Amino acid sequence: MAFEAFQLEDYNALSDDEFRTLVQRFLRENHPEDLRHPAKRLHWDQAGRWYMILSQAGWLAPNWPRQYGGMGLNPAKQLIYVEEFEKFGAARTPDHGMMLLGPLLINYGSEEQKAYFLPKILSGEHIWCQGYSEPNAGSDLAALRTEAVLDGDEWVVNGQKIWTTLAGDADWIFCLVRTDNTGKKQQGISFLLIPLDTPGLTIRPIINLELDDEFSEVFFDDVRVPKGNIVGEVNQGWTMAKNLLGFERIFLGGPRQASNALAKLRRLGEHYGRLSDPAFLDQYTAFRMELEDHQALFGRVADKLRRGERLGAEVSFLKLNQTSLYQRITEYGLELMAEDGARLEALNGSNDLAMQTQFLNARASTIYGGTTQVQKNILAKAVLDLP
Amino acid sequence: MIDADILSSIEMIRDSARGIASQGDFSRVRRLRYTSPGFDRTVWSEMCALGWPALRLSEEKGGVGLGLLAYAALAEELGRGLVPEPIIPALLASAFLEGDALESHLTGKELIIPAWQDARGTVAPLRPLSLTDGRVTQNKLYVPMADGADAFLVVGVDQSALVKASAPGVKIETAGTQDGGNFATVRFENAPCEIIHSGDPTAALAEASLATAAYLLGVMQAATEMTVSYLKTRVQFGKPIAQFQILQHMAVDMRLEVEVSAASIEQAASQWDNEGPTPAARAAISRAKARASSAAMKVTRDAIQLHGGIGFTDEHDIGLCLRKAMVASTLFGNAKAHRSNFGQLRPLVEEV
Repeated sequence: MAFEAFQLEDYNALSDDEFRTLVQRFLRENHPEDLRHPAKRLHWDQAGRWYMILSQAGWLAPNWPRQYGGMGLNPAKQLIYVEEFEKFGAARTPDHGMMLLGPLLINYGSEEQKAYFLPKILSGEHIWCQGYSEPNAGSDLAALRTEAVLDGDEWVVNGQKIWTTLAGDADWIFCLVRTDNTGKKQQGISFLLIPLDTPGLTIRPIINLELDDEFSEVFFDDVRVPKGNIVGEVNQGWTMAKNLLGFERIFLGGPRQASNALAKLRRLGEHYGRLSDPAFLDQYTAFRMELEDHQALFGRVADKLRRGERLGAEVSFLKLNQTSLYQRITEYGLELMAEDGARLEALNGSNDLAMQTQFLNARASTIYGGTTQVQKNILAKAVLDLP
Repeated sequence: MIDADILSSIEMIRDSARGIASQGDFSRVRRLRYTSPGFDRTVWSEMCALGWPALRLSEEKGGVGLGLLAYAALAEELGRGLVPEPIIPALLASAFLEGDALESHLTGKELIIPAWQDARGTVAPLRPLSLTDGRVTQNKLYVPMADGADAFLVVGVDQSALVKASAPGVKIETAGTQDGGNFATVRFENAPCEIIHSGDPTAALAEASLATAAYLLGVMQAATEMTVSYLKTRVQFGKPIAQFQILQHMAVDMRLEVEVSAASIEQAASQWDNEGPTPAARAAISRAKARASSAAMKVTRDAIQLHGGIGFTDEHDIGLCLRKAMVASTLFGNAKAHRSNFGQLRPLVEEV
């Protein structure tokens, strides 16, 4: 495939409209049709094809600077990129390397680390997963206990990570590990890169409520990692990881899930011949209006980004609002399905009507990325200045 | 994104509004409750001197020529102060009036209040005017602050009639409203009038709905701020009740409603300023008013709950916010009326 038409020296030189058109064309011409609007997170055996297309086109890392092989998009262009990908229903790739690790290495990694790891993320040679949560460190992430002890030239890692997304597809894991127990819990955490084929490391898939093995547990039993695999200073991992929760946080509050669920609700309404039933229409219209309100809220935060402002804690309002709407749409849809909502398989084999799956999927949205309750704790302190 | 010039004129509007709606001191508002006409004519004259009733009029009509976004900012500040003067009905009248009547309305010499509503739960007049020999016969409902009107503008589906409040054949049946103001059923029976060729009133009424949504946003902000500061000062079980997590979460939910309403209103007003009264822009306004109406009710209800017993007394100002929301949420179409208007403007068949 030839990608010359999509490879520009400086994407930011395009007007926003020109860039939007380019992204739309890129998706139309390159995205595999059978991977559009996936009902759940795709594994590498499916999404890998799309990853490699993005890789070859040089479109994998919109957020990285040009010198590291990214597209070097400014915030306004990044928003357009993401908006168009979502609108198109583009499949999400295993993107932890691009989204999280890449920016962290670019900011805090050594020159050797950047030169070694960044190209391998871009080429698809290294697929990364994230090792943050632990059985006893979920919302209270800083309580994590997986420890790394220096023994000569190696860190020896013992402990357990959980909710590791797509660990089974990955080659490497980036972890927050405890390297000091003496001070404040946030201050003894380091950022460590570990190959998943290291002896002593075991992955056990977890079957989630969607009966899917998207998550895994990862066990570390005397796993030996070269000393140089630490990123940044020892005991600075927490600060680094937290600083990175900037730009990408806005996408947790994007309208995508609620918007997909509403499209599904409409198709269900059609399927059951309810599109002219006033009771259905009233509820459906109320949801449409709520979705547009949310889009207005999202637009407001996006404008802040475009103006180059830093997002504060108020970005959490987006996630609270979106996930609440997402869940309520799926709850109403499930009720609309009545007995059909009890089916294990999608109605008529059509994912478009599978509100049961969507309902189950929506359960997770108020848990991951900071539960609704933790977000409210944060907002109470940061925005309302409550004790 | 909103243009920098517009933002700076909005800031000026806000500043002058804050001058009149004294922040956090509701003693004037309290004094005027349950009196007739329910607002202060001297304050009304000051508002006229500031050019507020002319805010949306073009400069050639002697107006200020500002957009709906600026009008929304003004209404929001007035809502924050629970200001009772009938600025939104007066601006609606300005949109229709012409000549001498307009001039004396804008200067505050003569307050003209529109009487547009034919039925409960509607967002626009349903009937044409019934006119015989320059006299109008019509019943109009829920005419806001009718006690203070010098004249009424009877708005029909395609034209309007200007009638002096003191004219023969005008019967005003005033009812008090929960916030201490009033509205009236006004019966016009062969009342002498001046015909105004106002055309289709739906666009001007949509602007009044959006302004009322913004007013409600101000009410919500006042209620949220009052509640958050109360949580920090009220001590029970040996600590400020702000330390109780469930109360914190309720306060965050209130603030979330404020944020979503603000975004919805801002988007609708910008769309209106950019593309004019298209069906999509009118639907956006209905969406914003529906949101603000239900959000203001939720926020002020929770505000009462978070104040506990003192919140149930008339003496505490938080109750003023709830009662104001009870009234403003219904004016120019309540949440239900605007949801149904949205459905009509954006029918399902047209959406892909």
